[in-house]
Amino acid sequence: MGKRKVAALEKVEADLVNLQYKIRRDPRSYAQEFYDQWLAYDAQRQIFISSPATVSSEDTSKFHDLVDLVAHVADLYPDLTAPFPDHLKELLNQHHATLDKELREKVVGSLVLLRRKDVIDSTSLLTTLFPILISTPSKTLRSLLYTKIISDLRESNSKSTNHRLNRTIQTVLHNLVTSDRTSTKGMWATRITRELWRRQIWTDARPCDVMKEACLSDNEKVVVGGVRFFLGGDKEREEAEDESSDEDIDLKKVKHQSTINKKTKKRQKTYERAVEKIKKQERKKHAPHPLNFSALHLIHDPQGFAEKLFQKHLQNTKNRFSLDNKLLILQLVTRLVGLHKLTIISLYSWFVRYLTPKQLSVTSFLASLAQATHNLVPPDALEPLVVKIANEFVSEASASEVAAAGINAIREVAIRQPLCMTETLLQDLVMYQRSKDKGVVMAAKGLQSLYREVYPELLQKRYRGKGATMGLRSGEVKQRKFGEEEEGGIEGIELLEKYKEEQKRRKREEQALEDGNAEKEEDDSEDDGFNSDEWEVGSTDSESSAGWIDVSSDSEDDAPATKRRKKEGSSEAPDLVDNADQDPAEAELDRISKLATTSILTPADLAKLEELRREAKVDQALGRTSKRKKELIDRHIEDGVTAEDIELPAQLGKKTTKEERVALAREGKPGREEHKSTQAIRKSKKEAEGKSTTNKEKARKKNFLMTIGKARAKNKRSLVETSKTMKRHIARSKSGGRRRNGL
Amino acid sequence: MGSSTKKKKEKKKDFQKAKLKVGKAKAKAANFTDTSFKSKSIVVNQQTLVTDGSDVVEQFKQNLSLAVNAKSDNQRRDALAYITNQLSANPPNDPVGASGVLTKLLPLLSDSSTSVRTQLLKLFRALPPAEVGPNVEKILMYIRGGMTHLSNDIRNDTLNILEWLLGVSGDAVVSCPGGWLKTLNSFSSMLGWNPSVGSAMSSKGWTSASKATLGTKKGPEAQARQIQVLAKFLQTGFRAEAPPPYNPMAYWDNIYRLPESPNPFAYLNLFGTPRDEDSEMYPDRISRQRIFDAKWRPAISAGMEGAKKEGGTVGRAAATLARALSAGLG
Repeated sequence: MGKRKVAALEKVEADLVNLQYKIRRDPRSYAQEFYDQWLAYDAQRQIFISSPATVSSEDTSKFHDLVDLVAHVADLYPDLTAPFPDHLKELLNQHHATLDKELREKVVGSLVLLRRKDVIDSTSLLTTLFPILISTPSKTLRSLLYTKIISDLRESNSKSTNHRLNRTIQTVLHNLVTSDRTSTKGMWATRITRELWRRQIWTDARPCDVMKEACLSDNEKVVVGGVRFFLGGDKEREEAEDESSDEDIDLKKVKHQSTINKKTKKRQKTYERAVEKIKKQERKKHAPHPLNFSALHLIHDPQGFAEKLFQKHLQNTKNRFSLDNKLLILQLVTRLVGLHKLTIISLYSWFVRYLTPKQLSVTSFLASLAQATHNLVPPDALEPLVVKIANEFVSEASASEVAAAGINAIREVAIRQPLCMTETLLQDLVMYQRSKDKGVVMAAKGLQSLYREVYPELLQKRYRGKGATMGLRSGEVKQRKFGEEEEGGIEGIELLEKYKEEQKRRKREEQALEDGNAEKEEDDSEDDGFNSDEWEVGSTDSESSAGWIDVSSDSEDDAPATKRRKKEGSSEAPDLVDNADQDPAEAELDRISKLATTSILTPADLAKLEELRREAKVDQALGRTSKRKKELIDRHIEDGVTAEDIELPAQLGKKTTKEERVALAREGKPGREEHKSTQAIRKSKKEAEGKSTTNKEKARKKNFLMTIGKARAKNKRSLVETSKTMKRHIARSKSGGRRRNGL
Repeated sequence: MGSSTKKKKEKKKDFQKAKLKVGKAKAKAANFTDTSFKSKSIVVNQQTLVTDGSDVVEQFKQNLSLAVNAKSDNQRRDALAYITNQLSANPPNDPVGASGVLTKLLPLLSDSSTSVRTQLLKLFRALPPAEVGPNVEKILMYIRGGMTHLSNDIRNDTLNILEWLLGVSGDAVVSCPGGWLKTLNSFSSMLGWNPSVGSAMSSKGWTSASKATLGTKKGPEAQARQIQVLAKFLQTGFRAEAPPPYNPMAYWDNIYRLPESPNPFAYLNLFGTPRDEDSEMYPDRISRQRIFDAKWRPAISAGMEGAKKEGGTVGRAAATLARALSAGLG
């Protein structure tokens, strides 16, 4: 049935919009009119409900208009319109599948409007919309409801967190996921939770719990939704935060424009809004950073969760998920294992089947294996896997990429658990640095340098390198046993200790200097002895390596000091020096660990500690430490291993195509569609901004005919005249130009 | 020569004559605006004018749909006139039945054109009264919608329809669900004799002169007419029911024979939504009197007294109403 259009003249009489306007201006006087319309609405509703499927389009549109009117003024006549929200809810609940599209949208919109006018509360709105969201077959309605639900949740959490509402909705979502594990309805729970997580409206453990249940669902889509949330939700959240802070407003520009342009209310308003926004941003900047834990950290009982996930979706042979999704689940499981140092022994034996080069996306499997390794995994469980990787991937016959990926994967595993390696295997692998392929060489060298630091005894003597050999000899490099944990301490406490020591020494020196002023000449020898003592401690501090390096590097700078020492201790064998230096080093280590326990760190101390830490970091970034350490610092242990990490060394030997190189060069340089000089780009930018040209540019552009007269006159000048002008020019430039700038 | 020549050239460009080429379209002007548009549907202003006399049934149906959908008022009116003719022919020709006709045409009750509405009333009068009976509830819904319509003309025309309906099956009108109280509600809002709104507003300490409305002139004729119809409605409601004639088989009929009315157990409301006070059915005179006494008597008597004092046509109508009231309640 087509709709008949209402002509303009007829409209005047039946103008609901006009009536609405009048009612809103003076609700008391128009109560009677509203009551009429309320009755009309009621009659129309009766007509509608008596046969919702066969109602004519005329009636529908009439009903649509009346609903609109009543919704807009419902807050003015609360007594009369008390049943209105219930009418709408009932209508939507019972007839949402058969309702006319526009009317349906109007009903949803009216409910939201009533919520905004505080006629109904959020809980009742959301509990109405939510069941329809998950049950309706119409896509448009679903998207509409989804946006309305999200925006309502946002709004009700905007001023302060509405804990009660959040808890209700989270419970609803939780129930939705857990009630029917096979249905796709859980998708909506994951979508809503993820969106609210991204917007930082929900940041506590409850949404994580919903997602956890989603991961344990039977439906593939729901599971993937949950898994993806844990793997990428936090990153998404950070990105969203960055985005929101990106919008910069040039307040100066706006202000300037407002002085030039015509003054209108609209412009004034935009200016005020800009100021408001900037103030808001400022406030946000100064506000304490919200302590947002990542979703992976908020999981309750990670061991149980990881075990269940593994058993249900991976170990279970009846599971028919696609490989991609299985890989996602595997990533989550291994991530949890690595992050929380969980123990799932069967996980490692499960891996064996997939570690062949023919396996699809095997690098992801390798990366997951590396992720699942931590220092509390028994080496017995890992050893067969490492051997298998070595056998399957690393051989002369296999392709170079495969070998490189294999060695790199072994290295990633070994970083986390060095004890997984046997001596013969390591020697075999290290020998691959003789290979012709660059990727393989780099991977093998990486493995070697790793073992030089963590477990040099496993390497053959000639591969150990100078540092490791010397470390072994001095006992500096110690092999850690299984299950041994590094002693906890405060990061950078030794730096603070050293700094304090220095300060103390300086003070004492100053004091000594003051004292020395009085009896300068007399106590020469004593002073020296005092100094040399201090110096000794300082030197061991600065280079906490073996003692006899000190001796060798002492050659020039510290020659007088050694002399003095010799004076005191007369005859000392090199061994003795060794011992003497080593003991203080150990003693000092003990003392440092005690510093935090024996003294109370003042806020000033802590500030200094922070500063020192930062300095140390800068030092490391500038390449003053070994490469591997830097890498370890850069990569936070909590970031998982990806397939790209495994594939990286294989890329080394390859040549890139021109397109790739161009794309690489273009990266991060937006706004360069055409080939243009930097000058030209700058100039066009300036022009676009409406800025003026410099005097130089103006002079360059000046019409030739205008300058020619002056040029000719200049040529005709006499020598004296010329020199006079020159002199004047020099004097003028010295005195700051015609305007006497700078005087 | 730097920028001056450039500028000269630029200036020249503005006054150059456009060159026309054979076989090429003319270049578009700089201020050319593209006015072409796309449309998803085509609207035909004139619907089928060919009247195919061969199939009467088809023609009837076509006219029925024309009466609802046609764009032009005249066409709608003509279609209605055609249907009226067919219905009032001897024997009446109605392939869809009164119920079908009513379902289709009831939305026209609030049609914007006066001629269509008057024609609609004529059409309804041509319907066989026996077939209208079962549809009373539905018709009443539309009537109530029309009585509270924003447009005054539509309200008055709806009153005509109500009058017709009262004449055709008055008992059904007052006894069907919602027929008594809801219709009274509509009447009161029409006349402005409104206890519920008055109390809602007076609680704030205000009195409202509810006569002022949206630019519609409520002349005395209109009000008199409203009071007249209300009086008729009340008369019908309060009419003494003749006791049903003695039927010796009534008891057995009740047990074994199929009921004759379409929904004999409507008062039980077995399958509908639960009814509130307004939409409840008041099947007999006593219950109607009781609820009228409780809810509407003070408001209507007060309004009536006011109307009486106005005198003229309104006063006369109010006197009729007073008579109806005293007869019904006394």
